Amino acid sequence: MMNQGGITETLAPPGTNSLEDRHVVDARHGQPSSYSSSTAGSEASSWTPHSVNNSFTGNGYSASSTYGFEQQAQPPRRDDMNSATEASSLSLGSTSVPQDYNGYMTYQNPTNSYGYGTTGYTGYYSGYQQQTNQSYSQPAGAYQSTNSPYQPLSSFQNTGSYAVPPSYSNSYYGPGDYQTAGTYPNSTYGTQTTWNDGNYTNYSSYQYSNYPSTSSAYSSGNSATAPAQYQPQYKQWTGYYAQSEVSCAPGMENLSVASSSNPECPTPGVPDGTQASNSQPPPTAVPSWRPEPGLSGLPSQQPSVVASTGHDNYWKQHAAPGFQNYNSAAPGFQNHNSAAPGFQNHNSAAPGFQNHNSAAPGFQNHNNAAGQSAFYQPMESKNAYGSYSDEQKSTSDQGPNLQYPVVHQVPQVHQAPQQISSTLDPRRGIKLQIQTNPRIVSNLALGLTKTDKAGSGTTAAAKPAYIGVSLPKPNDKALSSDASDPALKPATFPKSLRGYVERALARCKGDAQIAASQAVLKELITSATADGTLYTQDWDAKPLFPLPDMDGLSNTFQSPLPLPTLRRSPGRRTKSRWEPLPEEKLVNKTLPLTTEPVKYGGYMNDRNRKPFVGNLESKDGLNTPNFLAMEQKTTSFQKPFKRQRLSDSLTTADNGDASSDSDKESSLTAFYSGAIGFSNTPEERKKRESRSKRFEKAHGNRVEISHFKPKSAGSANLYARRATAIVLSKTFEESGSKAVEDIDWDALTVRGTCQEIEKRYLRLTSAPDPATVRPEEVLEKALTMVQNSQKNYLYKCDQLKSIRQDLTVQRIRNKLTVKVYETHARLALEVGDLPEYNQCQSQLKTLYAEGIEGCHMEFAAYNLLCVILHSNNYRDLLSSMSRLSNDAKNDKAVKHALAVRRAVTSGNYVMFFGLYRTAPNLNSCLMDLFADKMRYKAVNCMCRSYRPTVPVSYVAKVLGFAYASSVNGGSDEKDSVGLEESVDWLKAHGACLVADNNGEMQVDTKASSSSLYIPEPGDAVAHGDSSLAVNDFLTRAPS
Amino acid sequence: MAAYLSMGEAHRRITDYLGRFSDAVSSQDVASLKHILSLSSNSASLLSLADALNLLQDANRLIKQSDRFSQFAEIVAPLFRCIQNYRLGNLVDAYPAYEKAANAFIQEFRNWDSAWALEALYVIAYEIRVLAERADRELSANGKSPEKLKAAGSFLMKVFGVLAGKGPKRVGALYVTCQLFKVYFKLGTVHLCRSVIRSIETARIFDFEEFPQRDKVTYMYYTGRLEVYNENFTAADQKLSYALAHCNPHSEANIRMILKYLIPVKLSIGILPTDWLLEKYNLVEYRNIVQALKRGDLRLLRSALEAHEDRFLRSGVYLVLEKLELQVYQRLLKKIYIIQKQKDPSKAHQMKLEVIIKALRWLGIDMDLDEVECIVAILIHKNLVKGYFAHKSKVVVLSKQDPFPKLMGKPVNA
Repeated sequence: MMNQGGITETLAPPGTNSLEDRHVVDARHGQPSSYSSSTAGSEASSWTPHSVNNSFTGNGYSASSTYGFEQQAQPPRRDDMNSATEASSLSLGSTSVPQDYNGYMTYQNPTNSYGYGTTGYTGYYSGYQQQTNQSYSQPAGAYQSTNSPYQPLSSFQNTGSYAVPPSYSNSYYGPGDYQTAGTYPNSTYGTQTTWNDGNYTNYSSYQYSNYPSTSSAYSSGNSATAPAQYQPQYKQWTGYYAQSEVSCAPGMENLSVASSSNPECPTPGVPDGTQASNSQPPPTAVPSWRPEPGLSGLPSQQPSVVASTGHDNYWKQHAAPGFQNYNSAAPGFQNHNSAAPGFQNHNSAAPGFQNHNSAAPGFQNHNNAAGQSAFYQPMESKNAYGSYSDEQKSTSDQGPNLQYPVVHQVPQVHQAPQQISSTLDPRRGIKLQIQTNPRIVSNLALGLTKTDKAGSGTTAAAKPAYIGVSLPKPNDKALSSDASDPALKPATFPKSLRGYVERALARCKGDAQIAASQAVLKELITSATADGTLYTQDWDAKPLFPLPDMDGLSNTFQSPLPLPTLRRSPGRRTKSRWEPLPEEKLVNKTLPLTTEPVKYGGYMNDRNRKPFVGNLESKDGLNTPNFLAMEQKTTSFQKPFKRQRLSDSLTTADNGDASSDSDKESSLTAFYSGAIGFSNTPEERKKRESRSKRFEKAHGNRVEISHFKPKSAGSANLYARRATAIVLSKTFEESGSKAVEDIDWDALTVRGTCQEIEKRYLRLTSAPDPATVRPEEVLEKALTMVQNSQKNYLYKCDQLKSIRQDLTVQRIRNKLTVKVYETHARLALEVGDLPEYNQCQSQLKTLYAEGIEGCHMEFAAYNLLCVILHSNNYRDLLSSMSRLSNDAKNDKAVKHALAVRRAVTSGNYVMFFGLYRTAPNLNSCLMDLFADKMRYKAVNCMCRSYRPTVPVSYVAKVLGFAYASSVNGGSDEKDSVGLEESVDWLKAHGACLVADNNGEMQVDTKASSSSLYIPEPGDAVAHGDSSLAVNDFLTRAPS
Repeated sequence: MAAYLSMGEAHRRITDYLGRFSDAVSSQDVASLKHILSLSSNSASLLSLADALNLLQDANRLIKQSDRFSQFAEIVAPLFRCIQNYRLGNLVDAYPAYEKAANAFIQEFRNWDSAWALEALYVIAYEIRVLAERADRELSANGKSPEKLKAAGSFLMKVFGVLAGKGPKRVGALYVTCQLFKVYFKLGTVHLCRSVIRSIETARIFDFEEFPQRDKVTYMYYTGRLEVYNENFTAADQKLSYALAHCNPHSEANIRMILKYLIPVKLSIGILPTDWLLEKYNLVEYRNIVQALKRGDLRLLRSALEAHEDRFLRSGVYLVLEKLELQVYQRLLKKIYIIQKQKDPSKAHQMKLEVIIKALRWLGIDMDLDEVECIVAILIHKNLVKGYFAHKSKVVVLSKQDPFPKLMGKPVNA
């Protein structure tokens, strides 16, 4: 997906379309973890391989090899896909290198956005920051500072998290890994190390991040897992750093080990990571982050979305500073550099990647390949998530390795695409411009990221993911901003500055404020750097700038920036998340491109800025993945259910895309709708989806086109489209209703010709066929047949339903209809099938109201009894009583029902069971349903009023046990049966029974008064309706 | 008269109306604005305006002519349409036009910082409800499904939303709430009251006592009725008593409405009204019930309930009154106890079931042993009688101390 996204971006308009599609697909893929299997076969296949690789990755090499394979296999696909965006999305995993790059880029961006949007992102950020700091020694300070703020924000981030990470990692990777840390590099990491060290580190970080995300997703909210992931990432970063710092070989190994160890053994890994981290890790980490989000439940979606926006951002970032950084990075960089060429190679030729993958020596190549895969990774990771998580749990080593490779690949890919695609990507140009306006860019980027998040987040939050697709341009901007960011290298920031940043951010109360503060900070730092006071200024003493006015921003940010808020205060975050964002406002806001993206971008940028100034780009890329993972984690924590739902829907949508154009459209629209209402709850989004789908059906093609075009136009187009969709749907409805009124029903009414008396009921799914519909005469015979049938209720019910159906389709409403419904209602009452009875009763109500004769009074009594017995609402009872006519009040059945009502409301159990004995018609069947309650109340009352005892025989008589048994026959025997029954019942309800001198059973009222209880219904069914339990039902049904 | 109306005169009347409207708004003159908006007042100026509008069909042109008027076009144009239809007796068409005008008005109202136009908003809320009720009557007379009152309910909900926030406009929220209650009670959808009540009662920023008196009384009346439905007699008593205490003593119709619910509630917690009160407010349907309670005359209670069954069912107090039966039984037992005490104080606390059956038979009510035993059991269970029942000897053994506790303002416990 990512690849696709990236491709689309590079490709431009078509690209966007494809990106969106891809995104969708990805998201779906990721969520299901079915990536491999899910969606298009090609995609699925490619994904699966990736996942496999990932799983194998435990063995870094094997993973790489698998990647290579996948890539190889995919490359062609990707090419195809490039041509066809869908294909590209699918191919992402396998995608050819260039595509991969693109995809990666886009992915990264999206991931960034995702990460930002979600809390998980923040966590990622922190991780990134730390990593970046470590890896990027220059920005390190800034990063750290950023990290620190982030950490505070998210529980995950609690740097403690780093330390914690070990524990996490332990869980994920297994403590063994940590311990082995030293050895790690050799064993599991060894593979990674063999790869480019830097790359490895990156990979590791990525993997970690992936793991965490996956873990989070899988574990569904295990916060611990999330931190673990973060930690791993950090470690990885550190590892990267170390690698970069150290020459490739040993350093790399160590680093890789460290990274791996970090995830597993947090403490050791952390220190290592920090030390090493200075170098390059951040970039790699970023890719990993991206994949992670993808990996997490939503991952697939996210990647896709990410691909669109996130990729762009990543690309930009990576391309501009990130790439440079990577290149510059000594050992790691060397690797990177090699990778870069590799990327180029990759870009140019997918096979190169494949070679890399296949060839161990080409660790760098692998990296590249990995990068490619990484691009895909999001997708892969998603696919692999399941496997990853599993693997991680079972074999932590492998898991991480795999992930790492992916991560590495991602960064590389990003880089390569950026470089390669420079001409291709309009974004680059934008980026340059954006660089001039870092804030704006950052905002844009944030917006993009947000959108990406939304897209990717679809799994988690789902809202923004859709948006992301449509917001390619913002991504570009974001990228540019990122690029500008690189100018500021957080790593180089003095500690005091970091502290300053922390302080500045710590007082922020909302995402919007954070974002704004970050913008201000960025400016401050930039200016300080420009006039050389960055290191000379006493940041500790410098007063904090006034909090920026967030009015507009806050709105935009709220929904997109769940992560930051989460870190700070989960409650708030959730709040903001669900708060509906004023779309219009967003547009109005400064964000020029897409409002939504802008919002998101703001967050992204802010975060990026804070933590990562200089390295930001690469870091951002890395961060984004982390963020994504974070988001996923957080989301999973908070609302795993929703997520699942979203992911499900996404997956289905993906499938749809793969399968047909219309499906694509629908999925696209779904995305759009999501984009439109970022802040909407999933339910609302779903509603919108379905609404827009409706619209699409009619105007699908047009809509699709418009969706794609808007890239630059962004949200505005979306709105416009939405508006048109609404208008169209309205017109449809109107025309539809008109048509309905104009229809000549008589002409259309079926006249049955079937002569069969017996007919099974089958719910119609199409217009009725006269050949299978029975005319009225036959139906009359059928009714007689049913009435005289000796078969059980299920058969009769089935037959009656088919008779009802035939009556309905022929629009027969006469005495026969009433008779059929009455017959069915009585049968249903006899067996206690209340749902069916209620259906008949409501039909009878309208039939009687039409003046058709029947047993009106009998059913009026039933109706009254139903209200008495099943409604504890006084008003219902009063209104149904006041509706009774005088005639009705004189009817025997209705009188009886009214008497029952009186007995029930006064609690007069003697009267109730007396009435039970004399019940006309089937009134007793309805009273049955209330008898137990009445008995319980009665026994309660007796235990309170009688002293010292009350004979069970009296209880049996008064509470209808004897009556019930006497129905069956003999006199004495029946009485004794009733007695036994009442003894059983009393015992079941906790009554205290004693035998008196004559051997007669007595209820000890005083002892019983405190021991009575209502037993759990023995026939309770899981679905809550015991009448639906077939076995039980059959036994109850008289045969 | 309309026939002789000249075009010029029609033109003048319309322009005059527009001028008054715009002056009222610009000078924040609520009194005249109220007058202008009050459709059901049937004021002469409105009627003559309607005639003019029917003569001069393009009133919209007049509105658009001047900037002074055209800024209110969204309010006035539908209002004119409404007045026209109202004059022609076409209420079904008048309602939607009025709702449209009202919608535009609350848009404006929302933009005004002060609450000067609150009184005018009251008029609108009232008019829209009354108009909807009349339109529904017209609709059902034509065999169509009445739906306007429902629409008015959702419109009033919107108005409530405009007022329910902070600030000076909040004072008006209770008026709208009461209008909503009237709509919901009429529609039989009282469950919809819940959300409005919640937002009124949970608002800490605004003390309930700050609302206007008449609104408080109305609100307490309706919420008290809701509590009667819920059988929550303590709360119902408190709310309805508040309404009675604060109701304007001169509006006897309102007092009667309150007493209609307050009396059954008071009866069910053991407090009986005087005859004087029942007669003053023409609530004689309760007289026999009160008598039955005093005498322990079950037959009288049943006949009184039967006689006014329809009325009690419609007002929703039937079930409350029916539950008084237990208190009548209590009274009856107490009388028997007193008689026994006079005969033989030492055995007075032992009451044979036979005696009770005999007393009931004397009242013309034939009950068998089991049924009476059940009633006694329920009385003891509900704590209306202190003591226990000995099944073997069929004797109610009464507590020697306060065998028939008074309710003392508490409802019969379940």
